[in-house]
Amino acid sequence: MRTFGLLEKGDISLTKPLDSDVPDVATGFRRPQRSALGRRFRATVTAYGFLGPAMALVLVFFIVPGILLLILSFTELSSANFNDPWSYIGFDNFSRLFTDRFFPKILRNTFFYVFTTLILFNLGLALLLALVTTNMPRRAGFFFRLVWLLPRLTPSVVYILMWRRIGQADPFGIYNQLFPEFLGASGGNLFLGGSPWTFVILTNGFIGASFGMIIFTSALESIPKDLLTAAKVDGASLWRIIRDIKIPLIKWPLLFISTYQTLSLLTSFEYILLLTDGGPGLFTTEVWALTAYKRAFASYAGNSQWAFGATWAIVLVTVALILAVGYVKMFKFNELIEEPRIENL
Amino acid sequence: MTTTEIAPPLPPVGLLPKAREKMGRRFAYGFLILSILPILVGYAWLIIATVSFRTEGLLPRNAEGGIGGFTLRNWDFVTDAAIWNAMFNSLLIALAMVIGVGIASTAGGYALSRMKFAGRKGFLSMTLVLHAFKAEMLLIAIFFVLRWLGDIPIIGNFIGFNSVGGVALVMIALELPLGIWLMKGFFDNLAWDMERAALIDGASRFRVWWQIMLPQVRPGLAALSLFTFIAGWNAYLVPFTFTIGTKVANMPVFLNQLISDTAPTNWNQVAAVGLFQMIPLLIFFIFTQELLLNIYAGGSKGS
Amino acid sequence: MRVEIKNLSKAWDGVVGADNINLDISDGDLVAFLGPSGCGKTTTLLMVAGIYKPSGGTISFDGQVVNEVAPKDRGIGMVFQSYALYPHMSVFGNISYPLKLQKVDKAGIKQRVQKVADMMGIGDLLDRKIAQLSGGQQQRVSLGRALVKEPQLLLFDEPLSNLDARLRLTMRGEIKRLQSDLGITSIYVTHDQVEAMTMADKIAVMSKGVLQAYDVPEALYDRPKTLFVAGFVGNPPMNFLDVEVTGSDGEFRARSEAIDLVLPPDRAEKAAAIKGKVAMGLRPEDVDLVSDASPGAAGLTLGGMVEGVEPLGREDLVGVSINGVEMRVLVDKTKGVKVGDNIELAVDTSKIQLFDKETEQSLLWA
Repeated sequence: MRTFGLLEKGDISLTKPLDSDVPDVATGFRRPQRSALGRRFRATVTAYGFLGPAMALVLVFFIVPGILLLILSFTELSSANFNDPWSYIGFDNFSRLFTDRFFPKILRNTFFYVFTTLILFNLGLALLLALVTTNMPRRAGFFFRLVWLLPRLTPSVVYILMWRRIGQADPFGIYNQLFPEFLGASGGNLFLGGSPWTFVILTNGFIGASFGMIIFTSALESIPKDLLTAAKVDGASLWRIIRDIKIPLIKWPLLFISTYQTLSLLTSFEYILLLTDGGPGLFTTEVWALTAYKRAFASYAGNSQWAFGATWAIVLVTVALILAVGYVKMFKFNELIEEPRIENL
Repeated sequence: MTTTEIAPPLPPVGLLPKAREKMGRRFAYGFLILSILPILVGYAWLIIATVSFRTEGLLPRNAEGGIGGFTLRNWDFVTDAAIWNAMFNSLLIALAMVIGVGIASTAGGYALSRMKFAGRKGFLSMTLVLHAFKAEMLLIAIFFVLRWLGDIPIIGNFIGFNSVGGVALVMIALELPLGIWLMKGFFDNLAWDMERAALIDGASRFRVWWQIMLPQVRPGLAALSLFTFIAGWNAYLVPFTFTIGTKVANMPVFLNQLISDTAPTNWNQVAAVGLFQMIPLLIFFIFTQELLLNIYAGGSKGS
Repeated sequence: MRVEIKNLSKAWDGVVGADNINLDISDGDLVAFLGPSGCGKTTTLLMVAGIYKPSGGTISFDGQVVNEVAPKDRGIGMVFQSYALYPHMSVFGNISYPLKLQKVDKAGIKQRVQKVADMMGIGDLLDRKIAQLSGGQQQRVSLGRALVKEPQLLLFDEPLSNLDARLRLTMRGEIKRLQSDLGITSIYVTHDQVEAMTMADKIAVMSKGVLQAYDVPEALYDRPKTLFVAGFVGNPPMNFLDVEVTGSDGEFRARSEAIDLVLPPDRAEKAAAIKGKVAMGLRPEDVDLVSDASPGAAGLTLGGMVEGVEPLGREDLVGVSINGVEMRVLVDKTKGVKVGDNIELAVDTSKIQLFDKETEQSLLWA
C-alpha cells in the first residue's frame, strides 16, 4: 500500500490508499457516470441557459418585429382604420409606394445623402483627420481626436440644438453673425432656408467622421515604423509615403468603414428628424428611412399609417439585411470564429 | 501622377527642409483647428447662453440690447419637479441598460466564445448580422410588440408602451448584438488553460464563468458599461417614439418638448437644460478620455 | 491508480488529433508522452483529463470507464505550461480553490494548504499576488494546487517549458522526487526528450496522432521499433544510410555506392531477406576514430573527409562525407579533428539498427 509520504507527517491524516486493488469506494472518490446522451443534453441546456436572456430579447425585439413588419406591409393597418385593420390587401401598399408622387425625389435624396456624407465626411474627412493627427506629437493628435469625439458623445437633441443655433436667422445665428454676406449667407435661417442639405450633411458628417478617424488612426499606428523609415531613406516624399504605403496598408479598414457606414447612413434618420424633419417644404431633405418613420408615427390628418410605413421600412430592412450579410461574408468574420477548446460540459 | 513617378527623389528645392516642415506643421494645426471650429463654437454658445439673458450669435445681450446681461435665471428649472422626474427616468434607462446589457452580454458572449453546443455557429452568424444591421427600421413593429407587452396583466404596466421599463427593454435589446460581440471578443482572449484548471479543480461551468472568467474581463465589462450608459443617457429616438407626455419622458425627450411645445422658445433655458443633462457625460469625457476613444473604436471592430 | 487507454481516437472535422491509441499505465508510474508539437500528446492528455471528448475508444481508471465522467469527478490534478493560475486570487486563494469547491471546512483548508505550500517551499508566500511571483514560484503554486486535493492521477502539460534552463533542471528533479515519494500515477507531456528520458518510468513516443512506441527509456534508445522513434530519441540524432543487405556463407554485408560494411549475423539476417534498400541507422556515438597505429579491420571501417566540426565541449560533433554520403559522428575532442582531414571511422556494428523503408518498422525488434 502506497501512501502520501510527505503529507503523512502532519496531525490530520492525509494518508490514503492508492493501491489499485482497493475498491473505489474506499478512496472516497465519486465518479458519477452519465450516459453520453445525457451529458450532451446537459451541456446544451447549460449553454442555452447562458444565452437565455439574450435569446429572449433578440426574439422579442428583432425576430418578432421583423416578421411583423413583413405581415404589416400586406395589411391596411392605420390608426383611422377600425373595421378590419389586419386584413390582407396583397401588394397594394407596395404599388402605392412605387407610384408615390415623391418616390423619385425620396430615392434621389437618399442616394445623395448617403454617398455625399460617406465620401466627404465618413471616409474623406475621417482619413484626413487620421493622417494629420498621427503625423504630429502624440499629445496634440490625441487632443484633436478627443475633441472630435465630442459630437458623438453629445445627446442628439443638444447636438442639433447647437447646429440650429449656428444656422439660425439674424440676429441669433452664429454663422450669420461671424460671416455676414459670406458663402451665400443672407441673414436668413440656413438649415430651413438657403442650404438645408449642407446642414443635414454637416450634422451627420461630424458624427460619422469621428468613427472612421478612430478606426483609421489605430490602423495607421499599427503600421511598422521600419516601413516608413525605409521609405524615407529611399527618398519618398510625405505624399508618396501616404499614397504608396499608408493607404494601401489600411485598405481593409477603408473598406470596412465604407460598408459599415453605408448601412448606418441608409437606416439612421434621428438627426434629420431633429434638424429639418425632412423639410423645408415638401420632402426637400426627406430620406427613405425618415419617410418610413413619419408615415407610421407622424400623423397625417390624425392618421398614423402603420402598414404603409411598414412597407417603406421592409424594403429598407431587406436592403440592410442583404448588405449586412454581404459585409459579414466579405470580411470573413465567420472564419475568425474558433472552435471552443473545452468540450465536456 | 506619371510625372511624379519618373521624377528622381531629389531633396526638396526652394524651401529648406526645416522651413518646409514648419510650414507643414502650421498647415496641419490650422486645418485641425478650423475643422473643430463648429464643435467649439457650438459648445461656446451653449455655455454662454446658459448664463445670459439672451444671445445674438455668440454675444450675450442684456434687456437693453447691449453686451452683458449675466443672469442665473436660466437655471431656475432645477427647482422644477418635472426635470428631476426626467432626470430620474434617464438614469433609470441608463442603469437598466448597463445592468441588462451587462448580464445578457457577459453570459451570452461567454457561451458563444467558450462553449460547444448545437446551434453555436448559427447564433454567432446571427449576432454578427444583427450587429451590422441597424434596428431603427424595426421601430414600427416594435411599437406593436410593446403594446402587446402592455396587455400582460400587472407587469404590462412596467414593460409596455409608454413606460420607462418598455423603453429600457427596447434599448437593451438594440444594444445587445454589439454587447455580445464585444464580450465574446474579450472572452476569446482569455487562456483556455485557466478555465480547464478551474473545471479540473471542481468548478461548475457557471462557477467558472462567475468566479474565474468574469474577473478577467472586468476592464472589457467596464468599457461596455460606460458605452451603454452613455447610449442610454442620450437615448432620444426610442423614448420619443414609445412614450407620450412628460411623466415618462427622459431628459432628451423632455428637452425636445421644451423646444417645440413652448412658443416662443426660451433658447437660453433650453441651453441650460441641455448643459445640465450633459454633466455626467462631461465628467466621463474628462476622466476616461483614453477609454472613450478605445470604446468607440472597438465598438464595431468586433474584437 | 491504473490508467488504461483503449483504441482512443480524436478527430475534428476530419483533422486527426489522436489515432487509435492503446496504452496501460501502471499504478504509481510516471509516463511521459513525448513527441514534436502537434503530435497529439496534449490532445490525448486533455482527453484523459475530461476536457476533450474522445471520438472513439475508452479511457479507464482502475478498470472503470471514465469517458462520461466530468473532469471534476475524475480525481485528477493538472499542471499547465502556462501555470494557469487565477491572477485575481492570492497564492492561498489559488491553492485553496479546489478545497473550497469540495466544501472542506475553513480550518481544514488552512491546514492542508499550509502543508502543501510548505512541501513546495512556498509556505511564506501564501499572501502574495500571483503577479508578484517568479516563474518558478508560480509553477510551484500550480503544482501545489494540483496536489492539495490529493489526486489519484497527476497530469503535466509541458510544465517546465516556460522556465529558464537552470530552473528547469532543478524543477525536473523536484517533480520526479515528489512524484515517486507520493507514488501518484502521473502523465507527463513534453517535447524535450532529455526530460522524458530522465523522469519517466515509461515513455510513449507519438507522431501525427499515432503512438509510435511505448516502452522504458533504455529500450527506446537501444531497441527502437520504428524509424521515427530511432530518429526522434537521442541527441544528436541517429544517422540513416540507405543500404542493401546481402548474406552468403554466414557473412552479411551492408552495401551502397558509398559504403561496404560487414554486419553481425544476428542483426543482419532479417534485413538480408529483403530485396532492395533498407535504412541502416547508426548513432553518432557508436563510431571510433581509427588511429594510424592500429588500422581497423577491412569491412568494419568507413573512410571519409571532414566537412565540419562543432565543438560540444567534451566532444566534437563532426560532419563527415563518406563518398558523398553525409554522416554526423561524435569524436573525442583530444583527437583534434579539423575540416579537410581524411579520417577512418571504426563502426560498432553490434549497435547498428535496420529498418524496412516501406513500413518504417525495425528489422531487429518486432
